[in-house]
Amino acid sequence: MSGEHDDHHPSAWGPHHWDHGAPHNSWSPLIMSVGFGIFLFMLANAFNNDVVDASYIPIVMFGLLVVLFGLIIWWRQDMSFDGTYEPMATGVPFKNIQIRKVGMWVFLMSEMMVFTSLFSTYIRYRTGLENCQTVFERGDWVEQGYTLETGEALVCFEPASHLIASSWWHIAPGAINTFALIVSSFTIVQALRYASKPVGEIDEVRRKKLVTRYLASTWLLAVIFLTLKMIEWFIGFYVPEISFLGIHEHDIKSLVAEGYTIHADHYHHHDWVDEATGATMLADITVGSSTFYVTTGTHGVHVFGGIVGLTYMTYKAWTGGYTPKNAVSIEYFGLYWHFVDLVWVIVFPFFYLY
Amino acid sequence: MGEHKTIMGKDLYWMNFFGLMLLTLIEVAAVGLDLSPEATGLSYTEKELTLFILVGIGLPKFIMIAAIFMHLWGDEDSKILTLTALFPAFFIIVMILFIGLTHPESTTGLPEWCRPGFYS
Amino acid sequence: MNKEKIASRTLVIFVVLLLGMVAVPSATSLPTGVAGVKDSGCNCHGAVVSDSVLPILDGLPDTYNYSEVYTLTLGFTGGPADPSNINQGGFNLWVSDGEISVNDVSVQSWNPNEVSHTDAGNDQTMWTVDWTAPANDRNVEFILHVNSVNGNAGSPEGGTSGDEWNRISIQVASPTEILQQANPYTVLTTLIVVSFVLLLMVLTFIFYQNNPDSFDWENFAPWVAGWLTTTDHKRVGTLYFLAGFFFLGIGGVMAILIRIQLMEPGNDFLTQDQYNQFFTLHGTTMIFLAAMPLINGAANWMVPLQIGAPDLAFPRLNAMSFWLQPVGAILIFTGVFSGTGADTGWTGYAPYIVSETAHSGTTMWVAGQILLVASSTLTGINFLTTIAVMRAEGMGWMQMPLFTWSILIANLMLFLSIPAFGVGLIQVYLDRVIGTAFYDAGSGGDPLLWSHLFWYFGHPEVYVVIVPAFGIISEVIATSARRSVFGYRSMVYAMAGIGIVSFIVYGHHMFTSGMDPTLRFVTMLTTMLVAVPTGIKIFNWLMTMNGGSLVYRTHTLWALGFLVTFTLGGISGMFFPSMAMDLHFHESYFVVAHFHYVLVGGTVFGLFCGVYYWFPKMSGKMLDERLGVLHFLTAFITYNGVFWPMHRLGVWGMARRHHTYFISVDEVRGVDGEVITEAVIGALPPEAAGWNMFITVSAVLFFFSNFLLIINVVISLVRGKDAPADPWGGWSFEWMTESPPPTPSFGKFEHGEWHGLPTLEDANEHIAHEPSKLAEWFSRLMVADKEEVEN
Repeated sequence: MSGEHDDHHPSAWGPHHWDHGAPHNSWSPLIMSVGFGIFLFMLANAFNNDVVDASYIPIVMFGLLVVLFGLIIWWRQDMSFDGTYEPMATGVPFKNIQIRKVGMWVFLMSEMMVFTSLFSTYIRYRTGLENCQTVFERGDWVEQGYTLETGEALVCFEPASHLIASSWWHIAPGAINTFALIVSSFTIVQALRYASKPVGEIDEVRRKKLVTRYLASTWLLAVIFLTLKMIEWFIGFYVPEISFLGIHEHDIKSLVAEGYTIHADHYHHHDWVDEATGATMLADITVGSSTFYVTTGTHGVHVFGGIVGLTYMTYKAWTGGYTPKNAVSIEYFGLYWHFVDLVWVIVFPFFYLY
Repeated sequence: MGEHKTIMGKDLYWMNFFGLMLLTLIEVAAVGLDLSPEATGLSYTEKELTLFILVGIGLPKFIMIAAIFMHLWGDEDSKILTLTALFPAFFIIVMILFIGLTHPESTTGLPEWCRPGFYS
Repeated sequence: MNKEKIASRTLVIFVVLLLGMVAVPSATSLPTGVAGVKDSGCNCHGAVVSDSVLPILDGLPDTYNYSEVYTLTLGFTGGPADPSNINQGGFNLWVSDGEISVNDVSVQSWNPNEVSHTDAGNDQTMWTVDWTAPANDRNVEFILHVNSVNGNAGSPEGGTSGDEWNRISIQVASPTEILQQANPYTVLTTLIVVSFVLLLMVLTFIFYQNNPDSFDWENFAPWVAGWLTTTDHKRVGTLYFLAGFFFLGIGGVMAILIRIQLMEPGNDFLTQDQYNQFFTLHGTTMIFLAAMPLINGAANWMVPLQIGAPDLAFPRLNAMSFWLQPVGAILIFTGVFSGTGADTGWTGYAPYIVSETAHSGTTMWVAGQILLVASSTLTGINFLTTIAVMRAEGMGWMQMPLFTWSILIANLMLFLSIPAFGVGLIQVYLDRVIGTAFYDAGSGGDPLLWSHLFWYFGHPEVYVVIVPAFGIISEVIATSARRSVFGYRSMVYAMAGIGIVSFIVYGHHMFTSGMDPTLRFVTMLTTMLVAVPTGIKIFNWLMTMNGGSLVYRTHTLWALGFLVTFTLGGISGMFFPSMAMDLHFHESYFVVAHFHYVLVGGTVFGLFCGVYYWFPKMSGKMLDERLGVLHFLTAFITYNGVFWPMHRLGVWGMARRHHTYFISVDEVRGVDGEVITEAVIGALPPEAAGWNMFITVSAVLFFFSNFLLIINVVISLVRGKDAPADPWGGWSFEWMTESPPPTPSFGKFEHGEWHGLPTLEDANEHIAHEPSKLAEWFSRLMVADKEEVEN
């Protein structure tokens, strides 16, 4: 292999000659695996049982960089993919369906099980633990002494929706996110539509422009989604005075600023004040908040994965890489992206509204 | 790709998109508005009524995305891909039943006849 | 600089990084980091070491008497300490054996092995403690640290500036001279390093043998790079086999260390703590790092060949799922060598797994498992897609070879169940790392949730490792009996039945955990149901042999051995579904005997059988039959010697996962004068000691008997006979290609499409023609076109 570059053994670093079938060699799998290993290893060193050791953070980042490096090799090999090699199924019942499309659906089967596991956790805790609001309304916590004064907290389940659904302003980021995802679902099918318009029906320059534009807007909407999520979780926002709408100037606190964190073992909602005695109820809500942050966080990680994929696809579209011949690639990504939207359709009502 | 299909003369994707937006608006409204009078009329608590509305709206949204955006309706390969997508249904049901809905306090929540030291 | 140079240098960098990853955890996972008190000194005071401080430790004998109490006087002279200061000094005394007890307020005890001064003891330079000598033979080591204080605690420079410390170490011999005891970590580390070096040497030797003339770095680097970057299903399969056999050896070494510990009652070769880590890693290694890669190796090699596909559907993803495994393995083994490896058992039960008392290596065990979950998911996508879509023209579902069916069903089970495990692992990882509260019982977290998520995956998982063995045995018995397998359809439905039922039986692992009683009842019934499809398979194999005439090759012997041991394991398994029996046998050696009978006698024997059967196809060389038969005979006999007596130990009440056991020879008589030897609570009858010794001896023999396979393989690779395309007279597609097969395995990719892919008519594969209502219904469900069904 040294020096000779015959067509059947193209470089393992990419780019690849797709007219000879799938890549024969690639450094990407090895490098990415090592990157993931470094990342998980160093993350556990950086955050160990709530103790943060910042000296490990650069190595965590280094692990991610290694993953990115592997990913770039993967993409380099894929950039030249023009649809010449689009293997079709030979076996019934999938005969003549693109193999990669079947593969994507099989992958989505596993994703369904991932989110089912998270939902099972949620249902188990939601049904098994008493709801904090119910406990508060029952009122016997006063004589049991779970108050701010004694500093003792009772265990109950506090859904994030108790804070979020308490006002229109708190729902706003989540609701906008819902719309952002639906719009992005729409823009990705539009990208697919223009990429797959038969040659001659559409001007090639216009095709390139439209596909790039739609993919880029999908990317932008995904970034908006994560940004709003960060605002909702950590940052909060400011509402200016708009007198003719009757809106007063005030701050909307983020969930973390409201005390709704995974460490909230002495949490109190601002409404939890007993009218008769003036006592404030204290609750250990860490299970409820963990469930909320990890489930919506897992969804967020999937959105982030989509952003990573969209970055590559937008770049490829910008170089004019999508033709009717390989437009199905956009469909495969689209399937994943719609699935992420689908999960949000369930996560949003159960974690943000109910 | 489904682009030849239309609903009421309009483009399928557009109509689906508008439908989804509308349903989401109803969802947010159902949570934000005070439904307690209606809930009392139907002898539910407000939370229960909200949940019913959310589930009731979630289902068509789910189907709209899967059927139209994910091409599980109307294409030549839709049938087999729908079967593929529905394959985990059994396993999902098992998981929800066995893991989601078995009470975490079952150790203390056992019926009396099942606890140690019970002799009839 | 040309590309190859860049490639090889990058490789070196990654090797260094990998080694670094191994080294860092060993250092940081020590209880107090690298600078532990035992080894380096008073880092708590951060002062400088000085020779002017003279530690004193008086009152120690040269050799101790058993259990005698010695009063020790310890302290120091010199240094900046001055009687006029408020504080003069402090100390820390550590002893390797015996117990130190405190007899005044100036000294406090950290644990029986370590004492230190108190605040009240700060103003003196001499202290006294009592040391109780051990009751058995030990070479005892004392390490004393003393700190001489200059008393400027209140000054602006801080309390520790100017303090000086020093240390001494004193050895006390035991009454009778003893030999230095082996450190199990050293044994393990040495064996792992030695095996790894041997592996590398054998690989280099094979490279040399390929072409002795080109044995230089210029040719070696691209050869290694070619293996590291390969996406060819056959090469990835070989990598899986290499990794699998390597870890099978490591898991075996751990098993031997465990058996040495259990050789005699009350043995102390391993401490409790070491024992916990060793059985945890033995289980994890054997299931996830040995059995699964070996199965994946066989599947990678044979599935595309058997269905007539040029390669797997996603070759690069396939390489990805392989490379995640060694990286995961490194994470899993993190901390073991410094004594802080995972100590949770392979089930990692909550809440212990999220507690701070669990070793720090547990976090890395979880991280490694997350990578293995990712690997299995990718493997699942690949194999499910490949088998569903890339079958040769004319090969319907019911014409697939049974091994391919078994891989399809195993991967379906794994694929649909492993997300539950993955989510559970991520929850545990986050609990341990950023402090979420999923399994924090104090905050309402539910430890049973972990058991549910784990066993929702774990039970399908144990079938995932046995079902491929069913497939291999079906192929081998059919070929050896020189007829098609009896009841092909019922074989397929039985496997599919096992696959579906496996998801609703998992509760039988949790009968004693206090889960929902309804679920207990349901899973009890479904577990009993599992025996039905398994029984169908056993009878079908017997009937296959009944109608044919058996050719006794090595793989045939392994298949027959499998039938015996797997059936025995299946029968002992039938004790567990019944709740009443299960409560009695729970956590006993009966369980250990059962699952080793099905996992070793089932999976490992099945895989050995597959190796002997397919090795000529994979390598193009024949294996030596005489060595093979010797391997079978020694392994089969010693294997039964290891695990059969465990049934009896379990019934006697020997507990699993305990680092030792005790026997009682006291004769206690019951009311009717009968002898009750087990009267001492928890003690076993005296025969148990003999049986345990027997098991250990058998285990060592079993361990070494498997080296015959390695020797056989190496000899065969170096100077074996060339294998014909079809040495055993098999019918399926893999025997139609050359040995070893070309790349791509079938057909040629030209002008954007594949040419020359085989069709089923090319093979003599037995086609199941029996029409049945169920089969028609399934065919319709799968929307097969008519001509395909009729084909």
